[in-house]
Amino acid sequence: MRATGLLDHPFREAYAAKLGALPGATQAWVDGLRQTARGILNASGLPGPKIETWKFTGLGDLAKVPFGPAACAQDIDVRDIPLGVPRIAGARRIVLVNGVLSEALSDVIADPAGLRIASLKYLLAREPQTLKPILGGLAASGSLPLAALNTAYMADGVVILADKDFPGTTLHIISIGAAGSDPVAFHPRHLISLAAGARLTVIETHVGLPGQSYLANPVTEISVAQNASLKRYVMVADDNDAFHLAAASVSLAAHSSLDAFHLGLGGGKVRQEVNVSINGEEADCRINGLYALNGKQHHDLTTVIDHAVPHGTSSQLVKGVVDGASHAVFQGRIHVAKDAQKTDARQLHKALFLSKGPAVDCKPELEIFADDVQCAHGAATGELDPNHLFYLMARGIDRDAARALLVAGFLEDAIVTITDETVRAAFSNVVQSWLKRRTA
Amino acid sequence: MALIEINNLHVSVQGKEILKGISLSINAGEVHAIMGPNGTGKSTLSNIIAGRDGYQITQGSVTFDGQDLLAMEPDARARAGVFLAFQYPVEIPGVSTSAFLKTAINAKRRDQGKPEIDAMEFLKLVKAKNKALGIPDDMIKRPLNVGFSGGEKKRAEVLQMTLLEPRFAVLDETDSGLDIDALKVVSDGVNALRDPSRAFLVITHYQRLLNYIVPDHVHVMAGGRIVKSGGKELAHELEAEGYAKYSTAA
Ligand SMILES: Nc1ncnc2c1ncn2[C@@H]1O[C@H](COP(=O)(O)OP(=O)(O)O)[C@@H](O)[C@H]1O
Ligand SMILES: [Mg+2]
Repeated sequence: MRATGLLDHPFREAYAAKLGALPGATQAWVDGLRQTARGILNASGLPGPKIETWKFTGLGDLAKVPFGPAACAQDIDVRDIPLGVPRIAGARRIVLVNGVLSEALSDVIADPAGLRIASLKYLLAREPQTLKPILGGLAASGSLPLAALNTAYMADGVVILADKDFPGTTLHIISIGAAGSDPVAFHPRHLISLAAGARLTVIETHVGLPGQSYLANPVTEISVAQNASLKRYVMVADDNDAFHLAAASVSLAAHSSLDAFHLGLGGGKVRQEVNVSINGEEADCRINGLYALNGKQHHDLTTVIDHAVPHGTSSQLVKGVVDGASHAVFQGRIHVAKDAQKTDARQLHKALFLSKGPAVDCKPELEIFADDVQCAHGAATGELDPNHLFYLMARGIDRDAARALLVAGFLEDAIVTITDETVRAAFSNVVQSWLKRRTA
Repeated sequence: MALIEINNLHVSVQGKEILKGISLSINAGEVHAIMGPNGTGKSTLSNIIAGRDGYQITQGSVTFDGQDLLAMEPDARARAGVFLAFQYPVEIPGVSTSAFLKTAINAKRRDQGKPEIDAMEFLKLVKAKNKALGIPDDMIKRPLNVGFSGGEKKRAEVLQMTLLEPRFAVLDETDSGLDIDALKVVSDGVNALRDPSRAFLVITHYQRLLNYIVPDHVHVMAGGRIVKSGGKELAHELEAEGYAKYSTAA
């Protein structure tokens, strides 16, 4: 059976009608990328349950929503950044509405020396040669279904280019979904490229206006050159009627680092997929995360870390709390190639059930072909310890407050993996309010 | 009327009767001690007073200040002024001791209609109490009881008691695992709280503690019953003769 997909849906025509108007359509190489992607989508549709890495996250319900492309239009008037978006002091805000850069909502300041920030749309139209070496190379449509969907319809996105030894700054990309009366789908493509020795911190916040049905399908291609380091903090707090299907592909050169944290609070159905290739020796990859789910939310964090060369390190701590009838998925594949001796890879996933209703699927996968490596992984699920609860209540703390303290305590060691203090405080606040809402 | 009145209390765990008719009446201002061999039900009694679930109370009552204590949730009991210094305080990773203490203090203050404690006031208060109890100040920055030594855990229990100023405190073998210096410090902490409005129930296996916290009444518990009650001299008698002669009573 072919998986249901966007392309089977009547609005396929709506997409087809827009194809010629997509930015870069006149560039043969861009058109080629899109055609390849569409070919793959036409042949296999969206990933279905028969594909191993998608068996816990079905997309059948996606086909029931008549999404229209938000790709070329920006007809929704969003005047303010929603309140749920944390304010990160000192961070430059770059705002997208339905996947399209909004100059009105973004901080308009000159790029510091050594950093270039531009919209994908602008570069496709004016400087396609800048994009040619970095677009589509890491997130290839053939290997990444979500990238195929994105590539077929990508219309805008944020391109960030840091020159050699750029000393660092903090950018906050805020993505707002705002469907209006009809459901929309948007497919922003972000490119982050750090030259040798450059540093950068990028926060991505994904939110939606309440009660809106949209599909966010952001794809990010990240290349970190020698000795460069990227901190990437992603918060997905989309509306409960929204789908969020994101993929990031990261390439790490020698002595470079990725320090990532993925916070998952929502969306009706969310998949955050991260694929990292460690291509240079002594590169360090950290992908930590936290999710807190309620109601019928579905959240899937899927990571693939490919140690292709020796002396690489990777570490992952992912913690989640689940309530209501929510469904959490964590899949963590670590591949250590035959030559990747002295690799040190660690992974730990822990989930806490706040009620009997939720489901958690965890699938760690270690494929180790080198013989001199240190690899450790662990996974655990459980409930709050009644002895802990009693201890706190015996000191006068009511049941809800005691539970909130214990849940926060459970999540604490994940929170402290956020190395940027400002972001840590902001994300921690967001999690605290989630806990308060739960017990309110 | 006594501050705490335990009347013919029968408690079972998984169908096995542990407490077989305990009656005990403690007035405000008094310190009572319960002594008895291991496994006799002392901690069970403490847990019943504090409100731990998992027990079947098959008969009897516990009244605190005229209220039916057994009908109250553990947190309500604590806010009403009941405190249990646990025999085995649990370690709670991720929850900082100071956040916990502040939350507990504020829970009580809220009940009394008082505003939340000011952060500076809290620090000053804890520092003063720490000093008296020989607790290093950075202990409250650590996760609650995590990695605390046996002695540190017991001091931390007494610190909590001192901060929460209960009207009725049960100390369940707070002396176990303490060296003589720590024992004195902890006893001083308890004695400092003694006043005509408060009552204490000190549970211990050894007479030693009662040299420092001198009780008004001593009860011997064996086999889930109080088998003998007397004055503080009973403790010395037990020290000399042991519990053997009470074992038949069980
Ligand atoms: N939760 C429990 N489950 C089963 N047995 C218990 C439980 N709690 C206590 N007991 C039993 O009850 C008896 C009394 O225990 P406890 O109250 O801890 O005694 P003490 O504090 O005097 O040493 C013991 O035999 C103990 O094994
Ligand atoms: Mg005991």
